[in-house]
Amino acid sequence: MLIYILRRFGIALCVAVTVSIVSFSLLHMSGDLATAIAGPEASATQVETIRVQFGLDRPMMSQYIDWLGKAVQLDFGKSFYFQGPVMEMVAERLPITMKLGGIALLLAVAVAIPLGVLAAIYRDTWLDRVALLIAVVGQAMPSFWFGLSLILIFSVTLHWLPVAGNEGWENFVLPAVALGYYAMPAMMRLTRAGMLEVLGSDYIRTARAKGLGKGKVIFKHALRNAVIPVVALAAVELGFMLGGSVVIESVYSMQGLGQLAWDAISRNDYPVVQAVVLIIAMFYIGLTFLADVINALLDPRIRTR
Amino acid sequence: MSILLEVKNLRVDLPTENGMLHAVRGIDFQVKRGEMLCLVGESGCGKSMTSLALMGLLPRKAICTADRMAFDGTELLGLPDKKLNQLRGQRMSMIFQEPMTSLNPAYTLGNQLCEAMLEKPGVTRAEVRERAIYLLHRTGISNAEDRLRQYPHQLSGGLRQRVMIAMALMCGPDLIIADEPTTALDVTIQAQILRMIRELQREFGTAVVFITHDLGVVSRIADRVAVMYAGQVVETADVAQLFASPQHPYTRGLLNCIPVRGKTLPGSKLQAIPGVVPSLVGHVSGCVFRNRCALADAACEQDPPMVNTAAGDKVHYARCHKATAADAVQLNEAA
Amino acid sequence: MTTISTSSLPTGPTTQTSSFLQAAIKPVPPWRRMINRMLGHRGLVLGAAILAVIVLAALFAPWLTPHDPFEQNVSQRLIPPIWNALGSWDHVLGTDKLGRDYLSRLIYGARVSLMIGCAAALISGVIGTTLGVLAGYFGGRVDALISYIITTRLSMPVVLVALAMASLVGGSLKVVIILLGLLLWDRFAVVTRSATQQLRDAEFIAAAKAIGASTPYILVREILPNIMSALIVVITLEMAHAILLEATLSFLGLGVQPPTPSWGLMVSEGKSYMFFKPWVIVIPGVALAVLVLAINLVGDGLRDVNAPDGRN
Repeated sequence: MLIYILRRFGIALCVAVTVSIVSFSLLHMSGDLATAIAGPEASATQVETIRVQFGLDRPMMSQYIDWLGKAVQLDFGKSFYFQGPVMEMVAERLPITMKLGGIALLLAVAVAIPLGVLAAIYRDTWLDRVALLIAVVGQAMPSFWFGLSLILIFSVTLHWLPVAGNEGWENFVLPAVALGYYAMPAMMRLTRAGMLEVLGSDYIRTARAKGLGKGKVIFKHALRNAVIPVVALAAVELGFMLGGSVVIESVYSMQGLGQLAWDAISRNDYPVVQAVVLIIAMFYIGLTFLADVINALLDPRIRTR
Repeated sequence: MSILLEVKNLRVDLPTENGMLHAVRGIDFQVKRGEMLCLVGESGCGKSMTSLALMGLLPRKAICTADRMAFDGTELLGLPDKKLNQLRGQRMSMIFQEPMTSLNPAYTLGNQLCEAMLEKPGVTRAEVRERAIYLLHRTGISNAEDRLRQYPHQLSGGLRQRVMIAMALMCGPDLIIADEPTTALDVTIQAQILRMIRELQREFGTAVVFITHDLGVVSRIADRVAVMYAGQVVETADVAQLFASPQHPYTRGLLNCIPVRGKTLPGSKLQAIPGVVPSLVGHVSGCVFRNRCALADAACEQDPPMVNTAAGDKVHYARCHKATAADAVQLNEAA
Repeated sequence: MTTISTSSLPTGPTTQTSSFLQAAIKPVPPWRRMINRMLGHRGLVLGAAILAVIVLAALFAPWLTPHDPFEQNVSQRLIPPIWNALGSWDHVLGTDKLGRDYLSRLIYGARVSLMIGCAAALISGVIGTTLGVLAGYFGGRVDALISYIITTRLSMPVVLVALAMASLVGGSLKVVIILLGLLLWDRFAVVTRSATQQLRDAEFIAAAKAIGASTPYILVREILPNIMSALIVVITLEMAHAILLEATLSFLGLGVQPPTPSWGLMVSEGKSYMFFKPWVIVIPGVALAVLVLAINLVGDGLRDVNAPDGRN
């Protein structure tokens, strides 16, 4: 079991490095960074000055190695635009995005699992169809539009919740819903499919034969087995949410990591973009790793190998 | 001995794509307290469906009807779930055929052994645990205390089935329904488990409905036998009577198929009953065995009556037109 | 169901007893059965119908649109749609801030979305399927390498990388198609890889090898047709994904550039007015949702028809 974890950890590390290489190359190859930073009105000499100043004239390989070396020490260099250390900016914004992602995931799970269980128990009834309808409609709406619609309904028309910002807990409600709703259908369907499969298995029949009540059969015996892949999926979805938060944070004007990345992209502030991409990738890798560990912990067949 | 389980005219129908499948077509049988009744039949004769009907575990789509299906006087059909759950596990329990998949992989054996009994009011955890250890011992499992903490996947099939048996005995049920409990096991283990079931049954005075397709098993452990064919009981008798003088052509055919050491000549052909079981989908009438029976004639187009072929107060029923009633007492059953 | 299936009884005896003979059932060819199943699946039929309407509307856009989608008319700006008191039949869905007819922009926007959806799905499909089939068929180191590539791609935040690259290169229809095509191949790879793995040891593959078929032949003529059903499901789902991503990119300003009508762009253009003139963002959003819904229904329906009970 320990070897299993260590091996997964090693692979995770390699993947992280590879991601950083790929994103580094992609960015540097997409266009001339020096020109982009200098802006469209700059003269050729200004561009050259910038190129030397930021070390963009050196071979890409050595640029990367330098960057990686510093990144490992959590020094992501200085922001082109703000002249301050990137790490500070990231550290300031990260908690907000994580809070947002966490709440979004909790909401999604809180809806997905019960709905999936009900859909499985009352299979092919109106309840099941409604659940599937919600799932299918949920995955059809673009998140930015859903976010705007929520503002229209709850902030503008009903005045229940604020429009923008991230000071109090009220500010997190709508964005969390807008961020989480997209993950809900996948988890609901997985729960439903898992429950259907488990409910047809022999050990459920044994449990019923022992005279256990419906609730015990469903929650103790069935759900416990059916929910394992859903928990793993939830961890992965959290990773996706962190990556996709840029849209929601933009719509709700929240000062999170996504918004930071967006600002940096608009301003061609590449050290910041590099850093954010790497950090989010690390989180995603960490979460998928966590998902594997959870899988192993929850399923005794793997745990006691 | 009083009658513990009484079944009259049990029918189970399953809607399928091709029509209604009549899996069980009006069977009757009784089980007395402490008695081992063997339900014998080939695959698809409806014996498993019968057991599931008794325990209320039929699939959702199945339609189950009966004139009477009573456990110790309580009518089982139509019993609300809450009352049924009070009987299941406590006074009636079941052992299934596949030990490899019948236990929940996520919980320890101890947890699964004890949970049914913990539902009983007034029992303490310690009592339940002790009983679990005791029963694991009695079913031949060593290191019972350690086993409680183990998970199903850590045990072999034979051991798991012993755990299932122990689990069925936990609450001291009056009736155990065993659906081919040894079919999925190695032959050597089979013999051990059979012997154990018989011993425990006698010791605890539990009635058992033992479902099997193996006549050898029947001869070893049964008190009484009910032979099933194509959804009906075709013969019911004490075990000795059945083997000594089988009254139904199907039973006779089955017994002929078994090679006997000493009697069957080496190199001679194995016997088989010609023909195959007819489809039970859609309308079925008349004697269902007639397409394979040497004695069949025009009379067999009618549903055959259940005839008691034994004299005195003995009972040996056969569902056949050609069976001769000993006391000219016929019991007509709707097929 | 784990209870024994008594419907597995053999149908019909081998002897001549008449009352047991079932009427012989005429065999139905497999493709016909598939069509029947598809027609019976309500979601699939509904989705296909909606999709057909949208595709036809997009194809016949020049004949259907009442106005030129690019024609600006500042005196006619921000007229509400027909269900509002101030609306008029001249502009059934109203106009935007530059006076352009919304219905016309909507229909032309369908072209943009469909084009991008198809093209991006095609490009990523080719990339992903190639990788997946190679990984699934050859196994070993090839599989290890490709799986590693897939994991790397999955670990990258797609939206951010796409945004960054679009920002550098400059947003446009072509750029969006290429970007999405290069970034969305992962699900193709994963699905075709596992489908190929399941086929790899099948007998007909061994038979093909035995008659001396070359590897490319086997891959294209034997494996590909057999993973087609799974592949089609993924194509529809990734089409929907691409359409949503394009809308997001355009919304943020880094996708299709104005004045081209893209539904995402239309939402972003109307954002500043949304508090007073909500239809400006509601209409394109609903259109997006309906299109993606239709595609998802078709994809899910195909998946159900091929393998029910969510086995995929």
